[in-house]
Amino acid sequence: MIDVIYAAALGILFALGVFQLLRRDLIKSVIGFGILFTGVNLFFIAAGAFRGDVAPYTTNVDAGNQTSDPLVQAFILTAIVVSFGSYALLLAMVNIASRRYGTVDSDEVSNLTK
Amino acid sequence: MENNIYILLTVFIPLFATMGTLAMARHNTLQRWTGFIASTMAWGCSLIVLAMVIDSGPQTYRLGGYIPPYGIVFVADMLSALFGVMVTTVMMAGFMYNIHTKEKSVGYPAFIPLFALMQTGLNGSLYTGDLFTFFVFLELMVLSSVAMVAMSDNQYGLEAAIKYVFISGMGTLFLLVGIAAMYTTFGTLNLADMARLLADGERELLARSAAVMLMSAFLLKSAVFPFHFWQPDFHTTAPTAVSAMLSSVIVKVGIYMIIRTLTLLFTVEAPFIQTLLLVLGIIGIFFGSLTALRTYNGKRVLAYSTIGQVGFILVAISWARLDTTGTVEPIALTAAIIYAFNHAFIKSALLMVMGLVASQSHEHSVDFIDIEGIGHKIPAIIGMLWFLGGMSLAGLPPMNGFISKFAIVQSGVAFGEWLPLGLAVGSGTLTLMYMFRTWQRVFQKKGEITLHLLAGYEKGDSPLAPAFLITICVLLGLYARPLVILAERTAIQIMNPEIYISAVNLFGG
Repeated sequence: MIDVIYAAALGILFALGVFQLLRRDLIKSVIGFGILFTGVNLFFIAAGAFRGDVAPYTTNVDAGNQTSDPLVQAFILTAIVVSFGSYALLLAMVNIASRRYGTVDSDEVSNLTK
Repeated sequence: MENNIYILLTVFIPLFATMGTLAMARHNTLQRWTGFIASTMAWGCSLIVLAMVIDSGPQTYRLGGYIPPYGIVFVADMLSALFGVMVTTVMMAGFMYNIHTKEKSVGYPAFIPLFALMQTGLNGSLYTGDLFTFFVFLELMVLSSVAMVAMSDNQYGLEAAIKYVFISGMGTLFLLVGIAAMYTTFGTLNLADMARLLADGERELLARSAAVMLMSAFLLKSAVFPFHFWQPDFHTTAPTAVSAMLSSVIVKVGIYMIIRTLTLLFTVEAPFIQTLLLVLGIIGIFFGSLTALRTYNGKRVLAYSTIGQVGFILVAISWARLDTTGTVEPIALTAAIIYAFNHAFIKSALLMVMGLVASQSHEHSVDFIDIEGIGHKIPAIIGMLWFLGGMSLAGLPPMNGFISKFAIVQSGVAFGEWLPLGLAVGSGTLTLMYMFRTWQRVFQKKGEITLHLLAGYEKGDSPLAPAFLITICVLLGLYARPLVILAERTAIQIMNPEIYISAVNLFGG
């Protein structure tokens, strides 16, 4: 059951993220970026719960249950920090661009064609 | 096994330099010199690492003393030590360029710390023996380079940086999905441990899809043909020292990981991936060279040329016979390593020379329409450096570029790959055309300059750093023997994954 929920949630997050990322509004694109990274983090959680989905407490381990993998949560913490960094940097840059060009439409912010 | 402290120092000296230079944010000159001295120390450490690896096999450092695969381990085998020396040397030249440059962006308090942080990411991603740590170091490198391009003197730097973060973010996404898929399959992210589990040839669960994800991420990071769209803008608009680093060593991290994963992890899938790399490489060579021929900006020519040169490396990698059936034929991998090593010095030197040209006028322009004929009005050494670098990139005899082209031709002949070899060599002449087209237009032609050139008492950037790199190019061309022997030993070593796995000493004290 939990697999289906994970799969559905992952699909929805990735689809939403890609849709938002491809919007013309740069701020909406940045939000799509954030949603996609949330999707990847959820994929990590799903990877941890692959062999068992009981919380990894010692009592559960002693009872012989197949617990989920706690290491992925450490991975996700790092991944969240990294994606937060790039998210903040991206928002700051879009902020400066919006002030410089007076718009966040990605068609207007395109002087690199030369 | 002994912990080798020098591996750790190579990665952490730039990190300490980041923090130190942040503390001296008000003293820009001090920042620049501190960064340079720290990079010199990191360079020394990387040379010591290389010497120790040559002397007594792969070295490791276990962070916190935990036994791999439970803890993070830094591994320096021949490949990472050689690439590490390349990176630290070029980065040292970058810091050297930063000392005397007049660019406004280098004067910002955050620039030198970010530059040192970029070196941390570079060195760390080469030495790490763990896929997730690689991801962290890679992001460190990408984000600091993005911040530096966004604060560039070039007003389009910001746009290029936004564009790159989006595209590189997609690469990171693929990398993370690949890492998660690997973790689901094997329950470990240690490269040696995964190699041990993959070596029995059985492919369960997501191993194959992880291979695809990881490969596409690496190809995107090294700007191989279909993933290159961000590269020319990003490399053109960056501050000179940064663009020199981007186009030479940062694209090599992707190449390094392609070589590493092909030889260590995906040895069974290698033939298929190599066919793909061959096609992409050939298309990349043609696309990069032809586009460079019709580009009218000095830095942009070099940025497109990087796409072509990376194509040569991919072609050489694709010829390597990795399905270890007993016979070891290291010649193609040797050629790839020599090419990657030499190209870093040539391309960074050339981009710095273009930076010198830009620094000679108040407009800082390198558009051909502005700088046509500027060669007669600026110091002659700039033209000489460009000529030597152009000869090297085109692969003419006394320079190191000749050695790398020669190695590729030799391996192509050895494997009888006549069609790709003919295409590669044929497009190699295109390199000659676009380099000397630039040489003629900028340094030979006579004409009026509309730019406001520097007056008598003003000085442009110092040619010391590109001269240092060009000297290395000449020396590597005249005394190529040590590098060729080292690259061959590297190729033999990495074609036997057992050496790497036993060096990490899994589960053992």
